[in-house]
Amino acid sequence: MIKNIIISGSGGQGILSIGTILANIALFSDKFVSYCPCYGAQMRGGAVNCEVSFSDEELLCIQKEKAKFVIALNQASFDKFISKVEKNGTIIANSTLIKPQKPREDISYIFAPITQEAIKLGNIKTANSIALGILLNLLDEFSMENTKKAYEKVLKTKKDLIEKNIEALLLGFNFLKKEGN
Amino acid sequence: MQTIFETPKTIKENSRFSFCPGCDHGVAIKLVAQVLDELGLQENTILVASSGCSVNLYDYLELDCIEAPHGRACAVATGIKRAHKVQGKEKFVFTYQGDGDFASIGLGESLHSALRGENITAICINNTNFGMTGGQMGPTSVLGQITSTSPQGRNKETHGFPIKTAEHIALCDGTSFSARVALFDVKNILKAKNAIKKAFEYQKQGLGFSFVEILASCPTNWRLSPLESHNKIENELTKTYPLGIFKDIKND
Amino acid sequence: MLKGNIAIAKAALKCGCSCYFGYPITPQTEIGEYLSSEMQEKNLAFVCAESELAAINMALGAASSGAKVMVSSSSCAISLMQETLSYASSDEIPFVLINIMRAGPGQGYIFPSQADYNQSTIGGGNGDYRIITLSPSTVQECIDLTYRAFYLSQKYRNPAILLADGLLGQMAQGVILKENPYPEIDNSSWILNGAKNRPARKICSLEPNQEKLNSHIEKLFKKYKTIEEKEVLYEEYLCNDADIILTAFGTMGRYSKAICNYYRKNGVKMGLFRPITLYPFPNKRLNELSQKTKFFIDIEMNMGQMLKDVKLALAKDATCKFIKKPIGDWSGQEETIAEIDEILKEKYANNI
Repeated sequence: MIKNIIISGSGGQGILSIGTILANIALFSDKFVSYCPCYGAQMRGGAVNCEVSFSDEELLCIQKEKAKFVIALNQASFDKFISKVEKNGTIIANSTLIKPQKPREDISYIFAPITQEAIKLGNIKTANSIALGILLNLLDEFSMENTKKAYEKVLKTKKDLIEKNIEALLLGFNFLKKEGN
Repeated sequence: MQTIFETPKTIKENSRFSFCPGCDHGVAIKLVAQVLDELGLQENTILVASSGCSVNLYDYLELDCIEAPHGRACAVATGIKRAHKVQGKEKFVFTYQGDGDFASIGLGESLHSALRGENITAICINNTNFGMTGGQMGPTSVLGQITSTSPQGRNKETHGFPIKTAEHIALCDGTSFSARVALFDVKNILKAKNAIKKAFEYQKQGLGFSFVEILASCPTNWRLSPLESHNKIENELTKTYPLGIFKDIKND
Repeated sequence: MLKGNIAIAKAALKCGCSCYFGYPITPQTEIGEYLSSEMQEKNLAFVCAESELAAINMALGAASSGAKVMVSSSSCAISLMQETLSYASSDEIPFVLINIMRAGPGQGYIFPSQADYNQSTIGGGNGDYRIITLSPSTVQECIDLTYRAFYLSQKYRNPAILLADGLLGQMAQGVILKENPYPEIDNSSWILNGAKNRPARKICSLEPNQEKLNSHIEKLFKKYKTIEEKEVLYEEYLCNDADIILTAFGTMGRYSKAICNYYRKNGVKMGLFRPITLYPFPNKRLNELSQKTKFFIDIEMNMGQMLKDVKLALAKDATCKFIKKPIGDWSGQEETIAEIDEILKEKYANNI
């Protein structure tokens, strides 16, 4: 079974970073993985997205099919990618920047004040990890060990940054419990 | 009996130049060959030939040689120089180009090689026209010059101005040496040889891009005799193209 | 886990590429970015050329020294290099050119595309010449075929192109970066390293003697014939019992494999034939397959460039349909399946 995940937001929100981290978590968990970033003339603050797919079988079909999960960190990406969520799929939306509207009835919505929580944590740049935490909880198939390994691989020697992000990730991971969803 | 002149070792035995009578290419090639002999470079040299009248230069010189597409000689030379360097070998690499090749179609490659301070030498024969194709107006044709594509003479309104190549190359920070010489009399031929020698030595010393522009006659396309051609260079062309050294890194 | 672009760069270094010349263009710029630091550390030659024209000609010069040389670029900029590909083919100078295709014609845009099939296999330069063209469909194949491109280009003294699209250059997958499996080729008989203790050598395509030029071209084509006989590569997937065979290359090859799997699950005997060498094209094998299977569907991310080679290869009584995928983002396999369903409906209605 192939799982497709689209991560989207604006330049500077760390979209491609958590895409790479997620891809590496799946790789460390012995999955077939593909990671496709959008590319080209990018502008700070402009739209950014990537697609991560993983499966227990060889990945053949790639690129922007329907996704089981979509992470949207700003309004523009919410509007653009909501149509890509497959039936009974879930969109994780950053309610600090996205209006809590539900234009489709055949999908689930998680509105979390991701940016606000990141500011409370003291670093707005960890918002992406909070979102990833929520996703990992929903996926419910990857170990914390592999998650840490992926962070260490992608962020390399930046120890402080790794710790901060893991903290944010855990906050996201536990968000749903706290909210009682 | 004392030998006072012999064919340079670098010139292939029994080779016959295919240039028109009175053309200065032959003199320029002889000077290059003499300098290569004197500096002991022949066995360590790779020549980059170009398109134009000197297209089959490799048939005259006993040097390893590659032909470059029209205008790309300095880029090809860059590749050769760098590739040998990573193999731990310093090769002597020079291009021999016409003004059309160096300063028209290849100006980008030429200027950028100078800007990179590429440690190669370029010899550019400036005869103020596209000689091989029958004397059309080139980037170096002087104002008023009649050619097959400027029958009323080059005028600045429609054709713009001629390029002063040696001065332009001298402006590049990566250039170690840039000079313009001519071959219309013995004194100038000796000066030209000295300039070529200096340019080659600077490459040997690893000082960067070295360049010699040689004002050369083209009696056939100029519709002049060899003597008249040399007079034209001395009295007319040197007004647009003054002779001299425009950059010498050791004197600056 | 490596991006296609980085995988190609790493593979090049691993098989001894010592010179790289490039000029930035999306979607392949990471190749140069990666190599700029790696090659500097290793004291190898990396030049940010002033243009693609300069880059490919630096490659021409560098390769004449016997060094392993690579240039990478994309579609419209590969157009600029066609002259030197023609020269290098005639000069018999080997180097590897990576084309991470984007959409054209003209400037087009950076969307993935397969529209340079003609440019690579037929060529845009003048004269009679051929370029070895390899087409990967996964990041792993980007590595394996980069090794092979270096090997074939050295072995046959001919430029070789690795033809991938923007999607493959940009996407990351788990890969194994194994050692270069190919032997080194002795080039001491022709390289230019100074005429010491031997006569001077010349490398040139100019040949004013008509007979000599003729025999030079004949010699080149004898070499191409050997390449066509010995170096054809392709992948066959479930072709043995297939009623319908899809033909596709590169990214569309892996995509078509998923389509095959879908139809197999639904009881349709579908197979896939994927040329890996686009030149030499595997026409012989395709012809053999068409002796048994009579229905083919060609799928490409262009307006049908490989299609003519497929049609030429097939037996006369075989049918070949074509599905073109739009350039860039396409919306999953459902759309293609719907198109194939239409084709099959027609096939069964007309009993083809």
